[in-house]
Amino acid sequence: MEREVFGVDSGTITVAHELKAPLSLMRQLALSIELEQDKEKISYTADRIVATSERALKQVNDLVKVARLSDGLFEMEPVNPRRICDEVVSELWELFRFNRREVISEYRNREKLVVANHDLLYSVIYNFCLNAMNYSGEETPSEIFINNTKNGIRISVRDYGPCIPTSIWREIRQYGASRPLSTAMRPGSSGLGLYIASRFIEFMNGRFGLIRHRDGTSFFVDLPISKQLSFI
Amino acid sequence: MIMIIDDDKGWLDYYRNLLKNFDIELFRDGVAAIQRMDKEVPKLILLDILLTGPTGFSILSEMQSYPELANIPIFVVSSVDLSATSLQKYGVKEIFNKSTMLPQNLLARVREYLNA
Repeated sequence: MEREVFGVDSGTITVAHELKAPLSLMRQLALSIELEQDKEKISYTADRIVATSERALKQVNDLVKVARLSDGLFEMEPVNPRRICDEVVSELWELFRFNRREVISEYRNREKLVVANHDLLYSVIYNFCLNAMNYSGEETPSEIFINNTKNGIRISVRDYGPCIPTSIWREIRQYGASRPLSTAMRPGSSGLGLYIASRFIEFMNGRFGLIRHRDGTSFFVDLPISKQLSFI
Repeated sequence: MIMIIDDDKGWLDYYRNLLKNFDIELFRDGVAAIQRMDKEVPKLILLDILLTGPTGFSILSEMQSYPELANIPIFVVSSVDLSATSLQKYGVKEIFNKSTMLPQNLLARVREYLNA
């Protein structure tokens, strides 16, 4: 049952909490610079502040996009999923390296275009990858796969972190991530990134899902292929 | 050993750096932390309250049920406003609010408790 506190729904509380966390962390990191004399450590901390603020800004931007999905700002067009995955890997590579993590991609499909919005699909894969980075260890890379399906393609991102609780898995299978899951799915997660991804996927007429592995989770999006020929 | 329990990776990295001169062990969930306490009893625990799975309150209650864990000093470090009096019965010595605390204060209190 949805819990309301003075007219504020639990989803809003989850969002507020999720955004409060990076703000308080940035404050602590900035204050801790004063205690540090080692230039290398100061530079490291400054990089962490930048990385934390960028992630928070990206999340705020995505939330604004969720609120504006019906404004007709996001056109559907044929896009190349491989290229978008490569763009995401390229942008996140430094962040993965910074966190001593690795991301690898494996494309098993023929190069096909899908019907999607470039920015929204980029955000979906970005959120999946950040989620995977958060839960993968140093020894286990996060993996992006593109596979053919019956009527389209599947882009999935696999991690080797703790499994999602069965109750949450069932809820997502049945209803999708229709709200931020304030019960928290895994350590450090409110499910906000997945909620954002699922809204974008729904807008693009795709299908959002997840697969529980014995040693981790894959989040995926299924999208219809475009009949337009790829000239790329 | 100082045990730090927080499910946010960013905060664990922060503690790792701030407390780099101490013997620390980091945990993202309470179950693993309690299991670890079976092998080694920490001298101090830094505990977040809003955790996935068992919350900080559950960990505090669980610890109270074991005599060998009941007297470990605990600092609660959380973004939730908490009352000190309600947590004293759990062995909580200090409460730090993540939004307003100063790292030098946290460091000073850690040193103080480890030297006591």
